[in-house]
Amino acid sequence: MNLISGIKLYIEKMCSESGPGMKIILLDKDTTSIISMAFSQSDMLQREVYLFELLDSVRSNERLKYLKCIVFVRPTKQNIQFLANELRNPRYSAYYIYFSNIIPRTDIKYLAECDESESVREVKELYADYLCVNPNLFSLNIPHCMANLNWLPDALTRSMQGTTAVLLSLKLNPVIRYRAGSQAAQLLAKMIYDQITKESTLFDFRSNVDGAAPPLLLVLDRRDDPVTPLLHQWTYQAMVHELLQIRNNRVDLSGRPNVPKDFKELVLSGDQEDFYGNNMYANYGEIGSTIKQLMEEFQRKANDHKKVESIADMKNFIESYPQFKKMSGTVQKHLCVIGELSTISNKRNLFEISELEQEMACKAEHSAQLQRIKKLIADDRVTIEDALKLVCLYALRYERHANCDTSSLLQIIKTRGGCPQIVPALIEYAGTHVRQGDLFNMVRITDAVKLTRNLIKGLKGVENVFTQHTPLLKETLEDVFKGRELDPVYPAINSELVPFRRPPQEVIVFIIGGATYEEALAVHQLNNAGYKIILGGTTIHNSQSFINEVLTATNGIQFKHTKSMIKYCSTDNL
Amino acid sequence: MSSNNPFDSDDDKDQVAIVGNGGGQILEGFLCPICRADLKSIDVLTDHFARQHAEEEDALKSVFKDIFTKAKNKILNNFDDDRSGSSSGNTASGASFSSPTGGNGGGASGGSSNARSRQNAFNFMGKQQVGAECSHFEYFQSIRNPRLERYASETNKLIIRLHRLLKDLPTNAEQRKIHERNTVTWLEGSLVKLCPNCAKSFHLARRQHHCRLCGGIMCHDCSKFLDLEMAMQLASLSSTQSDPLQNLHLQQDRAIRLCQHCLRLLDTRHDMHESRTCRPVLAQVYEEIGKLKKNVTPDLEMYMKINLSLNEGENIFTLADANALLGKIGKVAEALDARSKRILAIHCEPGSREEALKKAIRMSCMQAIKERMLSLPPLPKEEYIRQIQERKRMETEQRILTEQRLAREAYERYGPGAGTSNQSIESGSFAQGSDLQSLTNWSAPQAAGTALSVDDPLIEQINIIKGYIKQARQDLNFEVVETLEMNLRELQREVYERQRLSQNRNDD
Repeated sequence: MNLISGIKLYIEKMCSESGPGMKIILLDKDTTSIISMAFSQSDMLQREVYLFELLDSVRSNERLKYLKCIVFVRPTKQNIQFLANELRNPRYSAYYIYFSNIIPRTDIKYLAECDESESVREVKELYADYLCVNPNLFSLNIPHCMANLNWLPDALTRSMQGTTAVLLSLKLNPVIRYRAGSQAAQLLAKMIYDQITKESTLFDFRSNVDGAAPPLLLVLDRRDDPVTPLLHQWTYQAMVHELLQIRNNRVDLSGRPNVPKDFKELVLSGDQEDFYGNNMYANYGEIGSTIKQLMEEFQRKANDHKKVESIADMKNFIESYPQFKKMSGTVQKHLCVIGELSTISNKRNLFEISELEQEMACKAEHSAQLQRIKKLIADDRVTIEDALKLVCLYALRYERHANCDTSSLLQIIKTRGGCPQIVPALIEYAGTHVRQGDLFNMVRITDAVKLTRNLIKGLKGVENVFTQHTPLLKETLEDVFKGRELDPVYPAINSELVPFRRPPQEVIVFIIGGATYEEALAVHQLNNAGYKIILGGTTIHNSQSFINEVLTATNGIQFKHTKSMIKYCSTDNL
Repeated sequence: MSSNNPFDSDDDKDQVAIVGNGGGQILEGFLCPICRADLKSIDVLTDHFARQHAEEEDALKSVFKDIFTKAKNKILNNFDDDRSGSSSGNTASGASFSSPTGGNGGGASGGSSNARSRQNAFNFMGKQQVGAECSHFEYFQSIRNPRLERYASETNKLIIRLHRLLKDLPTNAEQRKIHERNTVTWLEGSLVKLCPNCAKSFHLARRQHHCRLCGGIMCHDCSKFLDLEMAMQLASLSSTQSDPLQNLHLQQDRAIRLCQHCLRLLDTRHDMHESRTCRPVLAQVYEEIGKLKKNVTPDLEMYMKINLSLNEGENIFTLADANALLGKIGKVAEALDARSKRILAIHCEPGSREEALKKAIRMSCMQAIKERMLSLPPLPKEEYIRQIQERKRMETEQRILTEQRLAREAYERYGPGAGTSNQSIESGSFAQGSDLQSLTNWSAPQAAGTALSVDDPLIEQINIIKGYIKQARQDLNFEVVETLEMNLRELQREVYERQRLSQNRNDD
């Protein structure tokens, strides 16, 4: 179950089915991102794909009849129209058409009627319809999936298509469970179920020959765990996303001062580069020492370089040159990124903030924490965004606390010129009235198992104050694999498939409202322990994008649960 | 190769298909034996077969029986020795028809079920299978092809008319008009009041015109014109076949008036023809590049093998071999570089996609040269190789010495009777040893030194093989060198054994 190789195998197939010869590939915006996550341009060159073109870009009428054309697009109405025009007036000798998802037969008929010059050689569905971020993590790049706390129709369709594509590319026909009480989750689960039933021949994978439990698709709602995306992260990939933002494996440093010209845009792909692949889950401290080691190794080689005396030495050096250059590029790149991360962390006083964030997420000490927040958010070194995040966490944690003092904190934010309406919006989006489960370990005395677990956790103490928090998802997944009763909280939509008290072998998790890299790390740890889990979400959030999503989702709704903050709700105070 | 037993190899189908079509037109590729469609790859073929022809088991059986008997006859004639093998293969595949899953037929059913079980085993392990897919090409064709046929017949009609029209096209305008009217009957002008294309009425200023191919009527603005030269090309007339082209320049009107519809049909035909035959210089040079890249791959693999073998102190290959191969690879790299430069030099519009294409090709060539040919691991130094070989030889000699000492001790302990049996064990044990190469290294000069008569067949064989090796080295055919060297080793060992035995006998 590796999403990157899933996509790679599909693209490999496209390139090989068209046979040898020069090729051009026609893409749309989405499929361009999908391919770019798995293959670099030079990878495509090696497969004889020399030109890339957007299907909807301004067409030049230049005919290159000696080129074969691979078309890889999403099956949208617009793309079909563009493709029809292309086929009526073909610029290339042969067309191999691949759709990234299920396409209606009428569209195929329409295209067939347009192919008057008999240039189409293949029409196929290959389900590479998701962005593979890590081997176990996919995204659909939907920045906002809700309006008025309900699905945006396009986002819903896209999520259904993306999730079914993941299932098809891994050849899974799962039990579908969704988070009870979440309308969004129920609706998506239903749509995926309908699609699977409609295309039952496609999903006919002879899987449980040996009686193994069928795989599980778990549709979750971000609103169950609003804390994880708000926390500051300290593992490499998550930290880069939080502070510098990763978009389609690319980091844009062009806006940052003192960045060398070659590193304005960086590609971070664990698949194409070993160093990143090995260290993306390493934490900030570890990565520093790893880079130092790499530097030393690099310097050793560089020193060798200086000692070149004889011609044979020079020859040796040149022969090892490709690796040498590759390595020096890697070192410089990551040094540059780490340098940026460290500058930002120091400037924004992130160590202190993060410590408090983690404590609020894991421990209930109301008055002490309130004091510390008050002190921190009044500090000028703390940016207004970080201050707001602290207040958000406080408001979520102590929403029902007797001495909850969110309004005075909001007043401080307001005097600093921030926009306090984020906090009531977040409570409306994911307050206690929405959430299920025990986000803050508020355990009832009756739940003996969890009580003991918490006790043991407390006794063991904390290894690292910055990484105390574990996302709710990890607990949910542990419950799943231990074979706990799931029906009350996660009912199954196709219960006829549910095996009797046997945990599934493979789990696909889809989080409506976006996954996070911290959750990807949790999944990675579980996978290392031998489980098979894939995580996906409408997007991959950092705190900023999450806050934007919350604001869009709650825009225009009536605030019912935040009467006490009513005067901070309106946007007029901006 | 599969020719020895065609029934259990995966290639059987396309082979069978070629045999089966032997009488008529010869088709190549992965052909379905029933509908004879070309399916591009073995997977697609198997899949197609399982889906399309599952019910046609009976028909299939007869088809296959037919093919099998033909193939059998052929095999019986060609490979008398293999008769038992192939007939057993035949019965095996015959049996698979009667089994419930026999719908797939023949060896392919074995292959596909094999693949399926593999897939289950590896589905969630390290090696991943390509995900689900769904081809709509058959449906696409079922819509497209009948339409195309209709168009094609219409176009063919037009081309026949065009051919007749052009064949004896008079130069004189009046005569030409008569000729045109004779070839195609023109629509009666009085019947048409409006131009069918733009729906404007005809009058003095807007006169009626006829399409010279279908005889239809339109106004001048809606008329299209086909250049005479182009028309010639379409009607596949060349200057040798007819006179008109020679006096083409005499024609006053150098185009033929056509309606939109006819021109479009002709244009499409022309396009299709062009895209099938289009082979500009760029494409030709590119093909050469493809060939070079493909041919150098086994050399690169061989180089890695030689390098490894040298580094391990074996002496199948010499440093000179490696250098020669490196030289050959270097030449290919140069050739690639030159070809890609030539592509870059072909003239084209600046800023066009052709330019981008040429740059991309050049880039990929550079990349291939850099990553595959220039980054090969360096060869070990000669002294280093000698050191390793020396060490290995020492180790072996050491071992032989100890073994001999042990044997002698045993001999002294148990007397001569036990000694001989021990000795035979000893010789057996180092015949199986892994360091035979270095052992035979010094057996070769010894064999030459001891005056064995040249008419010993083994020695003669050795000499012949040595000659072959030399030949293969010169041709840089290192795979042959490797196998021959191995054979040589075995022969030399044999000779050595025999010498030792005869020496022992002499000693006794």
